[in-house]
Amino acid sequence: MKNALIYSISLFSSTLLFGQKSEMLIPKDAVTVFSINNINLLQKISMDDLVNYEFMEEVHQELFDGSTSGKTLMDAGIDFDQRLNLFYGKSYQNEISGFTFGVKNKAQLFEVFDDFQELDMGFPGLETYGTFFNNLIIKGNSAILVRIEPTMDYIDQITDSLWFARGNEMPYELYDEFEFEEEEEVLNEEEFVLEEPIEENSFPEATEDPNIKNYYELRDSVQMVLQGKELERLMKELFNDQINLVTTDNRFAGQMTHQSVGTFYLDNSRNFEKSQGLWYFQTVLPSLYKDIQELYTGNVILGDLILNNNIVEFQVQANYGDELGTIYKQMNDSKFDKNVLKYIPESSTGYFTYNVNLRQAYEQAYKVIMPILSDERNAQISMNVLTIELLNEFINKDALFGTYKGSMFGTFNGVKKIKTKKIEFYYDEETFEYGEREAEAEEDMPIFTVGFSIDRSDIPEMVMHHMSRLTSKFKNCGTYWKFDNAILDAAPMYFINRNGLFILTNDEDLAINHVNGYGSEALSRNACKAAKKSGFMYGYVDIAETLNRFPMGLLNPRQEEIIQTLKGKSGQVELTSSKTTSEQTNFNLHYSFTGEETTGKHILDLVNSLYVVTTFNP
Amino acid sequence: MKKIVVLFVLFLSLVSCIEIWDDLTIHNDGSGTLRYKINLSSSKVKVNSILALDTIDGKKVPSIQEISSKVGDFARTLDAQTGISNVVIEENYTDFILKFSCDFTSIMALQSGLANAIEAVSKEKLGPEADEIWITWDGNKLKRSIPAFARAKMKAFKSKELELLKEGSYTTISRFDRQIDRFDNPLGTLSKNKQAVMMKSSTYSVKENQDLLENTIYLISTKN
Repeated sequence: MKNALIYSISLFSSTLLFGQKSEMLIPKDAVTVFSINNINLLQKISMDDLVNYEFMEEVHQELFDGSTSGKTLMDAGIDFDQRLNLFYGKSYQNEISGFTFGVKNKAQLFEVFDDFQELDMGFPGLETYGTFFNNLIIKGNSAILVRIEPTMDYIDQITDSLWFARGNEMPYELYDEFEFEEEEEVLNEEEFVLEEPIEENSFPEATEDPNIKNYYELRDSVQMVLQGKELERLMKELFNDQINLVTTDNRFAGQMTHQSVGTFYLDNSRNFEKSQGLWYFQTVLPSLYKDIQELYTGNVILGDLILNNNIVEFQVQANYGDELGTIYKQMNDSKFDKNVLKYIPESSTGYFTYNVNLRQAYEQAYKVIMPILSDERNAQISMNVLTIELLNEFINKDALFGTYKGSMFGTFNGVKKIKTKKIEFYYDEETFEYGEREAEAEEDMPIFTVGFSIDRSDIPEMVMHHMSRLTSKFKNCGTYWKFDNAILDAAPMYFINRNGLFILTNDEDLAINHVNGYGSEALSRNACKAAKKSGFMYGYVDIAETLNRFPMGLLNPRQEEIIQTLKGKSGQVELTSSKTTSEQTNFNLHYSFTGEETTGKHILDLVNSLYVVTTFNP
Repeated sequence: MKKIVVLFVLFLSLVSCIEIWDDLTIHNDGSGTLRYKINLSSSKVKVNSILALDTIDGKKVPSIQEISSKVGDFARTLDAQTGISNVVIEENYTDFILKFSCDFTSIMALQSGLANAIEAVSKEKLGPEADEIWITWDGNKLKRSIPAFARAKMKAFKSKELELLKEGSYTTISRFDRQIDRFDNPLGTLSKNKQAVMMKSSTYSVKENQDLLENTIYLISTKN
């Protein structure tokens, strides 16, 4: 009886916990997961809209062939009682992306996924389908659409090993890339004239042994084999051994019990572990790599999306391991600099404050990192350690951290007309002969202000004084300094060095009329309170006023892509943070929106922005 | 050069205020001078911000040195064409003004010389556009329009960029050794000495109506 009771309780709890099965198909290799719980919200989203999101592009070119035309998610045979989980992960060996979801109506599902061919993978109880890139695996009422690809580095490593083991030489010549002709060679079509007719049943003579693969053919074969093996490994893990992210990571399993509309998971420690930029450490300094890796252990970001009418809240918990946590704690243990609030006008459509203590962070990082480096038995590292220790002794840290304390603020004050010079042509009425003259012009310029808290205002003052002796473009204007044509060789930059702040701005109005702050035109009391109350950072953006007017030309293509995902919307975004402890910092992104778009669409937009940010690969 | 041409079109489309002047002098014997000026000085901030980027719309943004080198190639190629001489290029990359002038022995030499030089540096065949006659001169009458290859580039502007073109201007001047009797286009203005006709319009209007600046100018006959 007792056993039956325990069994019933565990069955009940597992039903409660994992009643939605789609999450049990998320591979353990996933580093980033977005899980949408209440996907009823998405029922009205058209498939055409859905496939345009970046997070969809990775997984299914097949959906772009018109099979989604005019359909909504509701028509796609998806079970709206299960979670929709998007995942992404990258390791040295492979890159994996896809999503898992519930299946309600297979006939409808395959109207959308109409390019998938049934495959026999030898896994009983599973329905497996594939296209050139992706695989769709259905188990019961849940499915995973996955793309798993070996990375080019891994493919090259295996190919090289096979190639050289067969006694081959270097497959390609090393060359100087600068010898390449940059010009595009345009080959014109030439008419091909047959001098002699080809005899029927004749074949071209083989110049090489067709049974021996060249390097590139070998690499293609390696890629094919590795791709198959990776898929097979994944399927064994998921379906035979029941190994998935829920069963391997308690923190993620915990997230899956949350009833919020969506949850977010990013394992930064594995991001670090698999960072290709650290290959040098991994191979040449393995013990140092291991120590640094330990620093990152437990560095996981967990988030919840909460919906309330026209408000989306994104609550994020950034967790740290012990040692890294002590550095963050010291860094964020800083008193808010009230002076910055005077320099943020109430009309500002986007601003942030960032409040850190770099001196404390430096001292703590020195304490944590130097012993790790000192233990390393490597000549180069030892020399670096010696250099750092000497610098630590000789450098005047009071002057350094008094000049750059770490706290700062920034504002975007819209786009204003600025005065520039132009050349205009004028002509005489007699002959229409013309000449040139200089005239005043006006151009649109985004107005930015960035300011830093400073104790040693004498140091930048000294630098600017010497700059003014070097060039006549740099002038002392009494209460501020002006650097002519500093921005894009056309507009001036102003420097304000007072009230414990060193401010850089292209806002002439701030420099001339508000050098001591905006006074009554500064941020409202409530806005100041919100910024002061927040932990180490606070941010506010009026989406319509800021993003829609933001000069995209100043961004690189990837940043532009991120901004584009939020463009065309209205509402406010407010970012607040908690006090940082050695275990964690909490962030809250409060997004209140207006407009006719459905809540589901806003959620997808937000998820998409996060996806773009978190899967960023420079 | 293809990239430079694409970038140039991008510049034209992204900068809000571009001034283009084309100034054609025809002597009685059919020889003459073409002067062409592009003035982006009132959009210096935008041009500098474009040049500061690595890529724009997925295309690499060349450096000023690369642009200058290609402009030099164009001048050398044009100077080598039959019937073309005294090719002079003035580049001002502080205010972003490009001036170009050349002498020609006949209208036909000018048209084929320009088409050949553009084809050579862009490595792109102009096709039938290269053979189009956009200026004719019979000794008493000049008929001119905008060349087909320039019209094709204008058509490439995207709708979101059109608004910007409204602030730019296109000015065309035709000068002669003797006085003008009359001209067809009502947009034209006659100089006080009656030896030149000027027409001015916004770049947007020229894009929208590519015949807008087409004009036939009749001179007082030499027999009179």
